[in-house]
Amino acid sequence: MLALAELQSSFGEASLGGDTITLAPAIIGDGLQAEQRLSIHRNNTTVLLCEVLGTTYPVVKKLVGEAFFDSVARAYVRAHPPRSPCLFEYGGHFGDYLANVPAVAELPYLSDVAKLEWAWNESFYAVDAEPLSASALAKIDPETYGDLIFTLHPSLRLVASAYPIKEIWDVNQCGADPDARVDLNEGAQRLAVLRAQTSVTFIELSRGGFEMTAQLSAGKRLEDAFLSGQRLMADFDPTATLSVLIRAGAFHTFFI
Amino acid sequence: MDQMAPTAQSLASPIPSSPLPNRAGIGLKAQHYQEILDTQPNIGWLEVHSENYMCTGGPTLKWLTALRERYPVSLHGVGMSLGSAGPLDQAHIKRLVDLDRRIEPGWVSEHLSWSIADGVYLNDLIALPYTAESLDVFSAHVREMQDALNRQVLIENPSSYLRYEHSVISEPEFLLNVVSQSGCGVLLDVNNVYVSAHNHGFDPVAYLDQIPAHLIGEIHMAGHSQTVIDGRTIRIDDHGSPICGEVWALYEHLIKRTGPKPTLIEWDTNIPALDVLLGEAAKADAIMTLCGQRETHRACIG
Repeated sequence: MLALAELQSSFGEASLGGDTITLAPAIIGDGLQAEQRLSIHRNNTTVLLCEVLGTTYPVVKKLVGEAFFDSVARAYVRAHPPRSPCLFEYGGHFGDYLANVPAVAELPYLSDVAKLEWAWNESFYAVDAEPLSASALAKIDPETYGDLIFTLHPSLRLVASAYPIKEIWDVNQCGADPDARVDLNEGAQRLAVLRAQTSVTFIELSRGGFEMTAQLSAGKRLEDAFLSGQRLMADFDPTATLSVLIRAGAFHTFFI
Repeated sequence: MDQMAPTAQSLASPIPSSPLPNRAGIGLKAQHYQEILDTQPNIGWLEVHSENYMCTGGPTLKWLTALRERYPVSLHGVGMSLGSAGPLDQAHIKRLVDLDRRIEPGWVSEHLSWSIADGVYLNDLIALPYTAESLDVFSAHVREMQDALNRQVLIENPSSYLRYEHSVISEPEFLLNVVSQSGCGVLLDVNNVYVSAHNHGFDPVAYLDQIPAHLIGEIHMAGHSQTVIDGRTIRIDDHGSPICGEVWALYEHLIKRTGPKPTLIEWDTNIPALDVLLGEAAKADAIMTLCGQRETHRACIG
């Protein structure tokens, strides 16, 4: 007789595509092979988890087509099964995983689109917080701006790509113009993903603006973050970036 | 297996006064948030899968909170894996406790099954072998969950597709033993009884009749599908279609004995328009009205 822990271990392996040698003798066939009964459970696990990935990554699914998505999602589920029952948290490595799938090498932007969809998902479920108002900053002595340290809004995520991933995302949304085309030569795109209120939005940032936001997010002083941005982009205008971010609600609090 | 027989004394402890109304409720789906809030249909209560709302913020939690102001809510868990041999996930318990405090649900429920092996969540409700070891593990986990929540929980009978050679008692006997060892109540899923009865060839009526009415805190009703393997039909609990006639007949049989109970219409795949769910709920309400009162048994049709 299999002890419960041993039975569950074998069952888990079988549900993720492993063999059923240890487990099969413990299952009553009752007119079927034990393997046929176990296949119902294997199907439950893999099909439903693939559906979860399809819900989190609808644009990737649209780009590669349903059949291919199912096969790559199935392989992902087996390689990276969930460790938590909260499935809105499942699939965070899918973007990195896609970067190493040879069959999608001709879609070099796919991994970055997946990372954008994951950022959208994280932003959507992030903790709620009041965005910092512009008036709160107005009370600060301009002389001390350089020393400000911001706490970014908890829903803020940063995603950069060598491809125009926001355009790719846009034209693959429901209701988008089916004839819309994206010119991949448009080049790199750097995005802040944010849900300051109800909806998740994308904010396009310059090279310097993206770097500055990343530095602020890491807890750097405003002046240091600005200098980091300027090192990457000589004509970087921090005021424009800051004003866009503040208006969008990308900051939560600040201190000196 | 004498030690596994429920005692009369433990079964006599009744469920506290019903925290959900003795009416039909529906499973809450994102597709219907706005319509329910706008039209406020006359339904008794709403149920959600706890795990879908264990986020720290965002719109889904806001919707649930807004709807909770208008309807009683039941939290139905699919991820605690009470039947796993390993310890319960303490972080998951904490998240459930937080959600319980936020939503103040009528009931918190879980399944007589397991879903986690070696730390991997299989996203499946898998039947246990009904052994003394399983009973110890499961009952201890139910007690741990109830202690953490500081409330009684309901345990739901699963749909099953296989049985184990080393099971020593039947599923309803096992469930009643869990009740007596943990003090939990029962969430009786009539569709699951029907599905398992078909898949394993037992009498669904006898199963239902084994569960004392005072232990039943909630009833689930749902549709299922069928698949043919090697010429043999297996019923699959996919919650993706209307409740079939046989399951309605079992429900009527149950309600005649138990009186009205909070009854959930579950529909989780191929989700239809809200009106379809409300139609199924109205059907359950009608059966409860016609058959629910012991005094009015004779007025019951069929």
